[in-house]
Amino acid sequence: MARSKRKQLISCLLALCAAFIPTSSLADDAGLVVSAEASHKFTKQLSAGFEVEFRSRNDFRTADRVSLGPSVTYKLLPWLKASADYNLLIDNNREDISYHEDESYNNWRPSYWGVRHRFNVSLTASHKIGRVEVSLRERWQYTYRPSRVIDNFDFDESMWEDHEVRGKGKNVLRSRLQLDWDIPKCKFDPFASVEFHTTRELEKTRFIVGVEHTIKKTHAFKAYYRYQLTGSSSDEPNIHLLGLGYTYKF
Amino acid sequence: MMRKISYGLLAVAMAVTMVSCVNDDTDMDDIIAQYMVEPASIDLDYSDLAEVADVPVTDENDSAYNDYVENTTWNKVININYAGDAVTVTGSVPGVTLQADGAHVTVLNMSGPVKFVVSGATTDGSLKFYGDKRFQILLNGAEITNPHGAAINNQGSKSLYVVLADGTVNRLQDGETYAMVEDEDQKAAFFSEGQIIFSGRGELDVIAVGRGGIRSDDYIRVRPGARISVNSSALDGLRANDGIILDGGVVNIQTTGTGAKGVRSGGPMTVNGGRLVAISTGDTRLGVTDEGDADTTACAALYCDTLLTVHAGVLKLKATGDGGKGLNGKGNMDMRGGSMTVVATGTREIKKSKGVKLDGNLGITGGSFYTYSRLSDPLEVAGTMSVAPGYVTYDHEVRVITISYPGF
Repeated sequence: MARSKRKQLISCLLALCAAFIPTSSLADDAGLVVSAEASHKFTKQLSAGFEVEFRSRNDFRTADRVSLGPSVTYKLLPWLKASADYNLLIDNNREDISYHEDESYNNWRPSYWGVRHRFNVSLTASHKIGRVEVSLRERWQYTYRPSRVIDNFDFDESMWEDHEVRGKGKNVLRSRLQLDWDIPKCKFDPFASVEFHTTRELEKTRFIVGVEHTIKKTHAFKAYYRYQLTGSSSDEPNIHLLGLGYTYKF
Repeated sequence: MMRKISYGLLAVAMAVTMVSCVNDDTDMDDIIAQYMVEPASIDLDYSDLAEVADVPVTDENDSAYNDYVENTTWNKVININYAGDAVTVTGSVPGVTLQADGAHVTVLNMSGPVKFVVSGATTDGSLKFYGDKRFQILLNGAEITNPHGAAINNQGSKSLYVVLADGTVNRLQDGETYAMVEDEDQKAAFFSEGQIIFSGRGELDVIAVGRGGIRSDDYIRVRPGARISVNSSALDGLRANDGIILDGGVVNIQTTGTGAKGVRSGGPMTVNGGRLVAISTGDTRLGVTDEGDADTTACAALYCDTLLTVHAGVLKLKATGDGGKGLNGKGNMDMRGGSMTVVATGTREIKKSKGVKLDGNLGITGGSFYTYSRLSDPLEVAGTMSVAPGYVTYDHEVRVITISYPGF
């Protein structure tokens, strides 16, 4: 019986993956997300943690981001929890090339490493339907990018010049709907989610399918596939991401 | 088993993380190198001049026959020697009258060919000629500065042979303001209504602060052996309405005025030999048309209104001011030999600074051609461009174009 359900689950996951793949294009990127988190439950309601994450892009060949920061979660109600976290983002910003109307080069800003500060405040409501838990998370995300001066090659002037990336803040509303399955006698708990990042327009959509495996309630591992669609106003390509995470609970 | 899988996944993650060290930028090194290439060096030419003397044309039917001072017998000679505010004149020729006001000398030449030997120095003098007879000025160590106008002014329309006495250094300078005479032109420190033919193995230095350096309303010819330098902070360095012929010698031109041209030829310009270095450092001049519209005039090291033909010789042209052109040609250019190096390093606030800009066609069949522009096109040809087969180098990069034929 358990084996049959497992097969069904795998079939479902494959079907979900297959559903996303046609929407991707040949120009899509691929990368990896690796994270490690340590968390501690102080009371039944309150827990806190610290997470480090690494991302790559360019078909796994280029480092994209390193982030780290603490988080705190408080269970307001059995079905509702609130959380807040801060992340220091260290980004490898992609290069930027601009062209003239005649397609000749105008400016080239090489990739550069920069820092951003991110604050998240979230509310997550969840409800169990049989073996499936449905959760909806609404997150307000504020990210501040400090100003800094970087190199820029101006082809019109045939010279390198200083280019100021101005500091700016950005607010994003992230809405995520997630399903978590609890399969009896199965050590892998699958999950799937869809998340929308919205500013004045839809900037990103993330589709995730994955499994989580917990050992003695202390060590939790998860592996997932994420497909991220970017909005038309973004220069970033769509990206396929393989995610691997580890959480240590104490 | 599960633990092994988990650890395996972790190991894979770490391994992939470790290899994520490739930069995903576009490889721009070669492209940027093309934009940042350093131009060829162009400086005024003070190197030795070891030219073989040219052979005068002896065929009287040849249009160039009268350009050779050797084809005229000069047995009528008048010596003019400046000494500060005074001048001493020796020799007399019937039909020639000289008047001196201090060191300002006026000559009326109604005689045939007369040779005027000019020497000495004055800081407030001049030499002015009237009369429609061809004549010769032998500059024999003369230094003439006229604070009120041209140092030498020829109002005659016939040939003026300027012979630079062997080994002498001669110097002419105008003033910032010109005292004008009605119905008379004086457009430069050395001005002539008629053609000027330079020869001899001496040196002539012209400093222009009021108007142009050397100007003819006819044509100018420079023969082998002559060394001519013009430094103009006002208008054009060397200008001729009907054309310029460079057979030899060394011509160094430097202009700093806005909109000024180092060399400007209103007619066909032909380079048969010699070395010409023209450096223009002025910016684009802003003006207003008669209709009240905004008008801009860009500088150029060499500006040619019609055909430019290069048979031999060395041309080095450099413009460094805003919008400055190394070579601005309104007609065609025919490069058959010689060497041409053109560099434009100016900004483009008002106009684009370009290496070579031609409104006509460009034909290259020999020699060596190099053009560079720091911020714009090294070569702009409105007509057609043809490069004959047989070249050994033909490099066309973003900022530099190099074409050369065997032997260069």
